Amino acid sequence: MTTLKLTNLSKRFGGVVASEDVNIKVPTGEIIGLIGPNGAGKTTIVNMITGMLPVSGGTIHVGDIDITHAAAHEICRAGLARTFQNIRLLNDASVLDNVLIGLHRHEKSSTLSALLGLPTSGRETRALKVRAMALLAAFDLTKFAEYPAGGLSYGHQRKVEMARAVATDPDFILLDEPIAGMNDVESDALAEIFRDFARNGKGVLLIEHNVRFVAKLCSYVYVLDGGKLISEGTPENVLKDPAVITAYLGAEYA
Amino acid sequence: MSNFIAGYIPLFDLYCLHVGLALSQFIVLRAGVFSLATAAFAGIGAYTAGIMAVNFGMHPALGVLCGTLTGMGVAIVLSIPLARLRGVYQAIATVAFIQICLSLNIYSEGLTGGAMGLNNIPKTVGTGTLFVFAALASYLIWAIEKGRLGRAFNTIRQDEAVAASLGISIRRHQMLAFAISGALAGLFGGLEAYHSYAIDPRQFGFHLLITVLSYVIFGGRNSVIGPLVGVAFLIILPELARPLAENRMVIYGIMLILVINYMPKGVADTAIDAIKARRLKARGGADI
Repeated sequence: MTTLKLTNLSKRFGGVVASEDVNIKVPTGEIIGLIGPNGAGKTTIVNMITGMLPVSGGTIHVGDIDITHAAAHEICRAGLARTFQNIRLLNDASVLDNVLIGLHRHEKSSTLSALLGLPTSGRETRALKVRAMALLAAFDLTKFAEYPAGGLSYGHQRKVEMARAVATDPDFILLDEPIAGMNDVESDALAEIFRDFARNGKGVLLIEHNVRFVAKLCSYVYVLDGGKLISEGTPENVLKDPAVITAYLGAEYA
Repeated sequence: MSNFIAGYIPLFDLYCLHVGLALSQFIVLRAGVFSLATAAFAGIGAYTAGIMAVNFGMHPALGVLCGTLTGMGVAIVLSIPLARLRGVYQAIATVAFIQICLSLNIYSEGLTGGAMGLNNIPKTVGTGTLFVFAALASYLIWAIEKGRLGRAFNTIRQDEAVAASLGISIRRHQMLAFAISGALAGLFGGLEAYHSYAIDPRQFGFHLLITVLSYVIFGGRNSVIGPLVGVAFLIILPELARPLAENRMVIYGIMLILVINYMPKGVADTAIDAIKARRLKARGGADI
């Protein structure tokens, strides 16, 4: 069992402190929540973990591997996948192609055979298509395989993005506000998918500000405000914490 | 009848040469690099091949190989600083690169013949050779498109952050696209040198850049059919408009403007998308 571990992680944009001394642990097989009001610095943390933002201080480890300053594509190969706060699909490409690129990490054929269109490369493409179709089936998206992803409804686009992240076969999945703009039925369906991730031994870091959803799903929750962790623990304890109530609702409710 | 065909052979030669250059432009655009350096790489390939033949009496096959490798080498080196730039800045930098190549070419008179150009190149490349290489280049680009490289290029072009988050190395893939682009342009530059007796520096300047870019914009940037169709249209239509004599370029311009306005994806890609949409519709469509 490995752990995704952030130690004293900090990020400063010039003089602005976006996160300061953040310590988070995500073990595999569990869903860990990261909540906080708007502007608390949640997405900044995800962007640092996935190598989209340079880290100002502290370290990020996957197991024993230090990925603090690794390039974004190397971090994916270390077993981390993410979804984006605002869905980012290749809108003109088909749903199948969108999931296929998630399998890029598993492509083994040599560059030369890909260049020359040798049979090995063709075989690999066909094998990956089968895998991608299996993933689409798991996400109940089979009937959309040939359609351009940009034409799908919001909920379906979310699922395509999820399928693409799972296609990389990660040990850890970072979900950046996956249920924003969804109704309860849709979000319950996704919750089931997230539980499946955990049951399959993946670690999930769920970034949300829907506290109810997080409380229902997560075994452990971190609360971020103004770039600092203000509380952590089981959902019941955290939601009773006066500091958390102050951050969300104001001091008079604490 | 044979006279009729013979009259059009030079046009077909031009088609084959420009297909190669259009594919060179196409492959970098596909990988999300806004490089316009194809004209310069073609010039480098043409001059390398030409000098090898004229000064050293090298066998044409070796000469073309030298041109190809030089084009590729220069492209790889150029890709290193360009990796730090994006979009229109890459375009400007590559236009500057074309200008630099042009100036160096004119100044190094001893080697390249300067503004007079390089003359007396033995003509060793005919229609058949051009056709074979154009077909091979089209196959190469088609194969890339079908496989993992095409998928990676597509992703990088549309969203670099997504590409990186899925483990695709942007720098590596863009450098590869550059290398292919440089090799293709160098190859077809070399073929042009051996096909046309003489080359001169202005041939590989701003005009060629615009011509080659027009092919890709006109035909389409997504499918390999795009450049093939674009070159065909833009070479044949001005010929059909020959009676208009000096106004031919007006026709060319009007066509480009119409396509950019009404088919921004290019003629071929628009047609392919329409066919795909119709096929999906015919199957009843999924209720989204």
